[in-house]
Amino acid sequence: MNRENQHRDELMSDIIIQVSSLYKTFSATIPALVDFSAQVSRGEVLVVIGPSGSGKSTFLRCLNGLEEIDSGTIIIDGIPLDENEKNRLEIRREVGMVFQSFNLFPHKNVAENINLAQRLVRKKSRDQAMQTTMDLLRKVGMVEKAESYPAELSGGQQQRVAIARALALRPKVMLFDEATSALDPEMIGEVLEVMSTLAREGMTMVVVTHEMGFAREVSDRIIFMEDGRIIEQGETESFFLAPKEERTKRFLDQIL
Amino acid sequence: MVKKATLIDIAKFSLLVIAAGWLLVRGSSQAGYNWQWYQVPRYLFTIEDGVFIPGPLLDGLWITLQITGCSLVLATIIGLLTALLRLSNSLVGRIMARVYLEIIRNTPLLVQIFIIYFVLAPIFNLERFLAAVIALSLFEGAYASEIFRAGIVSIHRGQWEAAHSIGLSVFDTWRTIILPQAVTRILPPLTSQAVSLIKDSALVSTIAVYDLTMQGRVVIAETFLTFEIWFTVAAIYLVLTLSLSQVASLLEKRARCRVW
Ligand SMILES: Nc1ncnc2c1ncn2[C@@H]1O[C@H](COP(=O)(O)OP(=O)(O)O)[C@@H](O)[C@H]1O
Ligand SMILES: [Mg+2]
Repeated sequence: MNRENQHRDELMSDIIIQVSSLYKTFSATIPALVDFSAQVSRGEVLVVIGPSGSGKSTFLRCLNGLEEIDSGTIIIDGIPLDENEKNRLEIRREVGMVFQSFNLFPHKNVAENINLAQRLVRKKSRDQAMQTTMDLLRKVGMVEKAESYPAELSGGQQQRVAIARALALRPKVMLFDEATSALDPEMIGEVLEVMSTLAREGMTMVVVTHEMGFAREVSDRIIFMEDGRIIEQGETESFFLAPKEERTKRFLDQIL
Repeated sequence: MVKKATLIDIAKFSLLVIAAGWLLVRGSSQAGYNWQWYQVPRYLFTIEDGVFIPGPLLDGLWITLQITGCSLVLATIIGLLTALLRLSNSLVGRIMARVYLEIIRNTPLLVQIFIIYFVLAPIFNLERFLAAVIALSLFEGAYASEIFRAGIVSIHRGQWEAAHSIGLSVFDTWRTIILPQAVTRILPPLTSQAVSLIKDSALVSTIAVYDLTMQGRVVIAETFLTFEIWFTVAAIYLVLTLSLSQVASLLEKRARCRVW
């Protein structure tokens, strides 16, 4: 590899998610994403906030190909999310996602939930997979529940398992779509704690959340969106201390 | 503890059965019918020198079991494939599945059996037995496919999305996530379909397959034990279908424990 290339690679590798001019609509009338551009650096935690229906989920779901975009480009770790099936598959495997409703596989126990992708996608042996699985369960504090079925766990426990499952393929990016919104208040803390740990360890994260305390503490940058558009974005501290846009102020007043 | 209401229900039911039985016996004797139940066992089986020899009715039952067994397997495969086709992205596949369903569900089974036996069997050189199995499988497969489809679409979208997000292939998602969960929901209605299959299989007697019903007709033609043999044949079908439902509800309970 020559010098010039190497330099370019280093520059590029600093930005891990590159999204330009996304446009996405479900019905002809109201678009879910309009001219949406954003970048995320390696190791950065980006929090996306905004009122319900503003397109936060749609943005996350476009990032791992759960939704098709109408126009624009998405590049993740140098791989464009285009028609190419191989690229799409690669991106799905590099990007982990945690859902509001956990979506654990109810017919598989906790360990099997986490083993599954390692065995089928990474073709690991059962023993190898189990080793990773146990490490991950230790990380989210769920080792004793390895043999339990999802229905036997509390919401907070299920969500922690779901995070472990998303981490099983060693993704480069983690997406969290209101990971604590479906939880009873007393269980929110345990999930946020796991997310904070991940952030501290340098995981690149895009987080949709209504937990402003968490956002303020953990994130590097905030995007505020409404009606599918970015209204304001900025470094976390300045965003909260001195929001520029009127709409941002109103939203923060409501939610804080 | 049996509830009082249940006891009353049982009493009412018994009264009804006794009344119906009495009407039947009285009616038949007025019509001059001569009951000869003692004749019946030998058409089920005989024991000669301590050796068990099945009679025509048990021979027929064996054929019925073979036909329904083969048809059940084949109908399940056809049903699953049709359901997958209907849910697929392929327009041609969806249209083919649809055409098959509409034809099968909107024509009488008896006519389908005749078409397969009198039209297709000579062309493709099929035996009676095979013609019967094919006709029943195609018929029940159409209904089974609707059951599969309903079971599959009842799986929450989040399961697809979770599988997608951990990078599973479509094939692996079907195999390890969707179908295993759908099976629990599919099993009860599929059992009712299997019960229908057993009952519908009686129609193959019309193409001279020697199943339980056909053997019953033959025995009656020889012996004129009309009432006794038809009652016996009905009772055998009843035992068959009731035990199938029983097995299925056991299976269902076990599956439910594991999944939920
Ligand atoms: N599957 C869908 N079909 C139709 N409309 C959808 C779908 N998903 C989202 N939308 C619409 O897109 C807009 C953005 O939704 P969403 O991204 O879920 O917002 P948020 O996550 O910020 O609440 C909303 O108007 C919503 O009704
Ligand atoms: Mg949302």
